[in-house]
Amino acid sequence: MKYLLPKNELYSRLARWSAEYSILAPQKVGEYSEFLPFTAQSELCLQEPHNTRYPAKALFFPQSETILKYNRISGQLESAAPESQKRIVFGIRPCDAKAVTLLDTVFAEGDNQDPFWLARRAETFLIGLGCHEPCATCFCTSTESGPFHTEGLDALLTDLGEVFFVETLSERVEALFSELSPAEAAQQEIALAVQAAAEKSLPKVFELDGIKEKLDRVFDKEIWAELSQSCLGCGICTFLCPTCFCFDLVDEAQRGTRVRNWDTCMYRVYSLEASAHNPRPTRRERTRQRLMHKYSYWWEHAGKLGCTGCGRCVRYCPVGLDIRAMIKKASAYESEAQHAN
Amino acid sequence: MSELEQKIRSEAERLLKEGLVDVVIAFRKEDAPLRPQPAFFTHPEDLENLTYNGLCANNLANYLTRYPRETRIGMLVRGCENRSVNALIVEKQHSRENLYLIGIPCTGIIDWRKVIALTGEDILGYEDTDSTLIVRARHQTFRLPRQELLHPSCQRCVHPNPLSADILLGEALPEGDPTLIRARVESFEALSREERTAFFRQEAERCIRCYACREACPMCYCEECFVDHNTPRWTESGTTPAGTHAWHIIRAFHQTGRCTSCGACERACPMDIQMTYLTDKLGKDMWDYYQFAAGMDDKTQPPFAAFTMDDKKHFQAGGKLS
Amino acid sequence: MPTNPSVPNPYLPTPMRVLRAYFESTDRTLKTLELSFENLADKIAFFKKFNPGQFCQLSVFGKGESPLGVASAAWEGDFVRFTVQRMGSVTKALHELKPGDTLGMRGPLGNGFPLADWKGKNLVIIGGGCAFSTLYALTKHVQHPQNRPDFGQLTVIYGARSSGLCMYKHDIQSWYQRDDMEIHQAIDVPEENWDHHVGYVPDVVRQIAPSPDNAVAIVCGPPIMTKFTLPALVSLGFPPEAIFTSLEKRMKCGLGKCGRCNIGSKYICKDGPVFSLAELNALPADI
Repeated sequence: MKYLLPKNELYSRLARWSAEYSILAPQKVGEYSEFLPFTAQSELCLQEPHNTRYPAKALFFPQSETILKYNRISGQLESAAPESQKRIVFGIRPCDAKAVTLLDTVFAEGDNQDPFWLARRAETFLIGLGCHEPCATCFCTSTESGPFHTEGLDALLTDLGEVFFVETLSERVEALFSELSPAEAAQQEIALAVQAAAEKSLPKVFELDGIKEKLDRVFDKEIWAELSQSCLGCGICTFLCPTCFCFDLVDEAQRGTRVRNWDTCMYRVYSLEASAHNPRPTRRERTRQRLMHKYSYWWEHAGKLGCTGCGRCVRYCPVGLDIRAMIKKASAYESEAQHAN
Repeated sequence: MSELEQKIRSEAERLLKEGLVDVVIAFRKEDAPLRPQPAFFTHPEDLENLTYNGLCANNLANYLTRYPRETRIGMLVRGCENRSVNALIVEKQHSRENLYLIGIPCTGIIDWRKVIALTGEDILGYEDTDSTLIVRARHQTFRLPRQELLHPSCQRCVHPNPLSADILLGEALPEGDPTLIRARVESFEALSREERTAFFRQEAERCIRCYACREACPMCYCEECFVDHNTPRWTESGTTPAGTHAWHIIRAFHQTGRCTSCGACERACPMDIQMTYLTDKLGKDMWDYYQFAAGMDDKTQPPFAAFTMDDKKHFQAGGKLS
Repeated sequence: MPTNPSVPNPYLPTPMRVLRAYFESTDRTLKTLELSFENLADKIAFFKKFNPGQFCQLSVFGKGESPLGVASAAWEGDFVRFTVQRMGSVTKALHELKPGDTLGMRGPLGNGFPLADWKGKNLVIIGGGCAFSTLYALTKHVQHPQNRPDFGQLTVIYGARSSGLCMYKHDIQSWYQRDDMEIHQAIDVPEENWDHHVGYVPDVVRQIAPSPDNAVAIVCGPPIMTKFTLPALVSLGFPPEAIFTSLEKRMKCGLGKCGRCNIGSKYICKDGPVFSLAELNALPADI
């Protein structure tokens, strides 16, 4: 169904929903925005063309989470209880919502599904806000996503100035909007025009066709040394990435807990073995792993690209590395090398 | 292309062509808007990509420890970078004979986040002039006063000139006002214990443990950082307060007498965490107690790394100064 | 949209108790632990899934987990055997365990050896160092009278740096008396009273020259041994599809989720640890 949500009714609407749901929405923290619980005092940050700095995956897969408790003396073991709460994530951007569906393939499909992910995921509605002004660091149109794509969303909002044009995408959120006045054909046309303009403002930076094969072919080539030369080896690109899911399991001996923390292939110690052997000893191998995982291995694991083009890794890389340029260079390397010969 | 950029390029070209160095570490043109990248030039023909302006945000001394001491390195150094290089030489991380420092009196690093907050991200081009940053965005051209855009560490910089460069490109600048950095520390010191704790917590607890501050810092070159050590583990893992507090405190302490106040840690931080109030406080203490400032020459050991018979012994015998 | 079926916590270990613990090597770097199940249901679940070649994550609470190959066959009894090389903090803690102590175990994990595909084949089992433990499990499995008819000739080649590092000594000594298998042991340098092979495993393999006819070769050992043994087998005429090896990498979850043990698109913990050389040849050099 299609509705109109006047902007001046937004807060009262959210307040009404909050009787039944806990609502998470982007709010300013200093210079950036973050998903925080909506309260009567909240000021939402929906105009900001930038996405939240910290990725939305954290709402389902927190950076640090206790997964079990143990008693070292008695040997008693206890699983942590998965958190389940009826939630609405309001104002999530399409790239982040799509990323959540990508992470479903890791945590919610096949064997050994993750109860912590499942519990949070099942009870959470994703109400998306499309991006009518994509950023210069955004590249969702190149990564099977787009500023108004609906994958993973229960509803999508399009900003039409005074009102949001609301399109519901799943049965389960229909009741939330049913009191709103339905949108008319004229408004839908305006919304479609806004969406088309946004899509058009973001031309593709590369074609995905054949990228996997091209990258696979240059796995052992020198291009990775060149691309990773200035990399600092910090965790920004992977921690801010909405699709990176690598984690570590660590015992906190003083608390008697086993904790799951985000981890990153960009750290030297990530793959360092007890024997001191490291299969990825330098930034060259580690950068290659990050890019190949997203642009090659994901296809094999899930049949999908592992990047949604949110642009956080581009925007916050402390040395200005740009995954778009890196992918372009790596995938062009083979043909260039052939030219040189 | 600015005159300065041209001078850097010519000097780099000379060094490479005459075989005086194996690599020139400088900056190259950006892929993402406003973000020139550290670059490593080994062939003169690659120098057309070299760039230099106020948005070159990294402390290039950070890359020094990646090379064997035998590698002859030409490196672009501003005031803080030169001090970092000095501090690294003191710690025997490279040999001075194998370095050729191309000095640039520094007018301060522009904080790209401040720029896009004003202009938006859709930037077609920009020009960094003496007093103004001219940014051509898609819908508008902005002329922004440069001083206001500088990174806080640069706004209170005391020594903008390289101290021991082999060549200085450009006129030396007047020294900065040394009271600014002190005043900031003093205003922090003047807070009550509760206020200081609250400030520390507000900053540290935003930490996502990405260690960009460590990786961007020239002085953080340990093969194995204390947080990565697991026999025994020194800090709690993850983003709990206990973990982030320990990280920020111990990181700062390891910088005592070594930090050159370049601010690279804060520029790298993805969560805008202020860290220099801790390192600058330690820097002030080093000056007040030992009249020592890190990196002012490449010979003097930091007080905590050196031992002399007349060391103050106030940590012994009931805390009295000897 | 994922629903919320009540799924078990896959990171929760099953409680185990140390039944026996004894040093395996004279230098005390190798220790064997035999663990019994605290709960009957866990035991049933384990043996329903278990296949030689699989591994488990052993937990010492407060230290963490360490992946270890199972060194026992199901028919040996209601216990699971591991031989632990003392390396890092977890394996050190495992070495300190005494009979009666409790610990956690997750598993069996990974694919194990493709025994069904090997039916009717001759098996050439080649191991070096403590990685021989899973091959020991395989040999024990094959030796059982019920399983033995499933396979042809059985040849075991096992090398260690010195006689003091040879594991499962007593049992392996008895293999020389068996008429249903061949056993060849080797140490790197000559020692007094050693009357078996002397030399590195790849050289010993060349010297013994097992026939590739209707055979599969299974190689587990330190990376350097594996690296040189695989080409030795190829030169003896074993096709890549008939050569198998078990890989190791740093692991955490053991379930193909935490991300760290991949070689290209394959996770060692989930898609392996056992791969044929043909499969490995199709993967990038990322180990």
